[in-house]
Amino acid sequence: MKIYITDGSLESFYTAVFRAYREKDCIITSCADRQLSFDSVTENIAADGEMAGRVRAKLDRTDRYAAGDIDLALRSCSPLKEQTAFEYIRLLVQKNRPVRDMLSLPAVIEMTELIRKVTGEVHKMKGFLRFMETASGAMYAPYSPDNDITDLLAPHFKARMGSQKFAIHDIKRKKAALCDGHGWFMAQVGEAEVYLSEYEKAFECLWKRYYRSVNIKERPHEKQMKGYMPVRYWKFLPEKDGHDPRQ
Amino acid sequence: MLDATTLEILTESAKYDVSCSSSGSKRVNRKGGLGNASVGGICHSFTPDGRCISLLKILMSNECAYDCEYCPNRRSSGVRRARITPDEICSLTVNFYKRNYIEGLFLSSAVFDTPNRTMELLTETVIRLRKVYNFNGYIHLKGIPHADEALVMKAARHVDRMSYNIELPSERSLKLLAPQKTKDSLILPMKKLQSALIYDRENKVKRGRILPAGQTTQMIVGASPESDGHILRLSEYLYRNIGLKRVYYSSYIPVVKSGLLPAEPAGLLREHRLYQADWLLRFYGFDVDELCGEGENLDADYDPKCAWALKNMQLFPVEINRAPLEMLLRVPGIGAKGAYRIISARKFSPLNFDDLAKMRIVLKRAKHFITCRGKFYGCEGNAARAALLLDEKSNFCGDEEDRQLSLFSSPSAALGALTGEL
Ligand code: SF4
Repeated sequence: MKIYITDGSLESFYTAVFRAYREKDCIITSCADRQLSFDSVTENIAADGEMAGRVRAKLDRTDRYAAGDIDLALRSCSPLKEQTAFEYIRLLVQKNRPVRDMLSLPAVIEMTELIRKVTGEVHKMKGFLRFMETASGAMYAPYSPDNDITDLLAPHFKARMGSQKFAIHDIKRKKAALCDGHGWFMAQVGEAEVYLSEYEKAFECLWKRYYRSVNIKERPHEKQMKGYMPVRYWKFLPEKDGHDPRQ
Repeated sequence: MLDATTLEILTESAKYDVSCSSSGSKRVNRKGGLGNASVGGICHSFTPDGRCISLLKILMSNECAYDCEYCPNRRSSGVRRARITPDEICSLTVNFYKRNYIEGLFLSSAVFDTPNRTMELLTETVIRLRKVYNFNGYIHLKGIPHADEALVMKAARHVDRMSYNIELPSERSLKLLAPQKTKDSLILPMKKLQSALIYDRENKVKRGRILPAGQTTQMIVGASPESDGHILRLSEYLYRNIGLKRVYYSSYIPVVKSGLLPAEPAGLLREHRLYQADWLLRFYGFDVDELCGEGENLDADYDPKCAWALKNMQLFPVEINRAPLEMLLRVPGIGAKGAYRIISARKFSPLNFDDLAKMRIVLKRAKHFITCRGKFYGCEGNAARAALLLDEKSNFCGDEEDRQLSLFSSPSAALGALTGEL
């Protein structure tokens, strides 16, 4: 079986789709360390503007929202995301019309599920992201989302933070959305050195106190709390005694 | 800066108000300002009782001139008292908001001095927060009964939502347990606000529109003898005649010892059933008469939709590939989202039982009420009842799909309502 390995970029994915389209038995993935079977042949796919462009053009003609959906799906942390998106494209081309409402077809179900997880995490992070005030007055939010969503999250905070400077830092992927108070952009950021403002600790303490007081002890329901607010997110929540390791 | 003990006292006093939703408003940020509101509402944290924190929920003061029997802050109680200034509230809100701890402020107060004095200070606070602190996030303000109409209207121009809590679902119980409040002191301001709100909406007022997220209220369930049927009729009236956005139900917990109040808590199941019935009224096209007689309580054994279906078995089973939306919505186990999914998927090809399962339609309950391409997969009559009962038992012990219907539901539960597999 042929395995096409992309570099994780959209363009490389579309290039792989172009190459793989006519083959019956092949896989597209960005995980180079996937378990290989005996008879598999791998090929690394470098982005090729021309091939990717042709796939995109076909896609746009069939369903002008499909490229947006694929962009969302490819941000997923699922190792099968490229394959799922590939099969979705095949279905689109085969039906030659939008397929997102054909909700009983496996390719649509899987694609919908990927997108739901990604947009679901964006929504969650609008709530669970925590900023700290730095000595210079900028706000800094480290986090570690399951999916690659930082640039989807940034506009939400830009809209509400006004002229406030802020940074949203995906520690795992070593990238950050940086906002200078006017516009925002993405940048590679490995380690960040952060000095906190003198008030930061005090507000964090007030928040923790608030969190403790607003709870109704007589009605414990930990299971529900964890269902809504998964434990893996706690390490960045002060009220859950999570904190940034560098503090 | 505010000291932690004051914050603790005023939070403890506010926490029994169950409404925490930050939804319904799309206030935008202004130049140089901080904050906006998000229509769907956002949860920022969850407490160990399973409730969402969306707003900084706090009393301005817990010193009260009134003496409501059920309330830990009433005049005759011996609790610790505290008060904070408008500036302290504003600064705390802005600083919590900037750190993304909260979506906004839920400001309430006990009635200190006089109702007007209280309302005045509350109004001053929200105006300060908007004008001086330039805050454009969400504000929910509690209305003070008996305060001047002009003051209330002024405050309403600066906040997203207001609520007058009815607390006791009948005039008689109010007299007995909250002697300083009357039905009129609660209902009249609601009506006034609603007509001002409708005026603004109809005249497409853009700036300073009154209460873009509307009004809500809360009732305590089980502190007084009113039946579920009575409570739900009141809710239906509040939704359909006054136009409230939400009615919250809070099952009674004895925090105060009193001969006039029950010694036992009312229990979560009753509250849970009321919420389920409430969703059915608002999103599923049910009328209260279909769900519960005037003096009756909701069935404890089945959820209200299921109870209704069992009483109307002549209407079932319905064919999943043909039933109209209104009927799909009435199938136990199929939520609004599921119903819409079925409607769009069946346009492309007829659906069979396996298709539904693949589409994540929960079939445990639904299968007794539907056919797929003519085939029935459930049990008939009593066997169906037994199966449903069993399922209901396991459900109330914290099944995922029912979670969102409990009191402890979140703002996103408003959306959840549309997805809840009732
Ligand atoms: S008015 Fe009644 S319910 Fe409100 S704080 Fe005072 S005593 Fe409590």
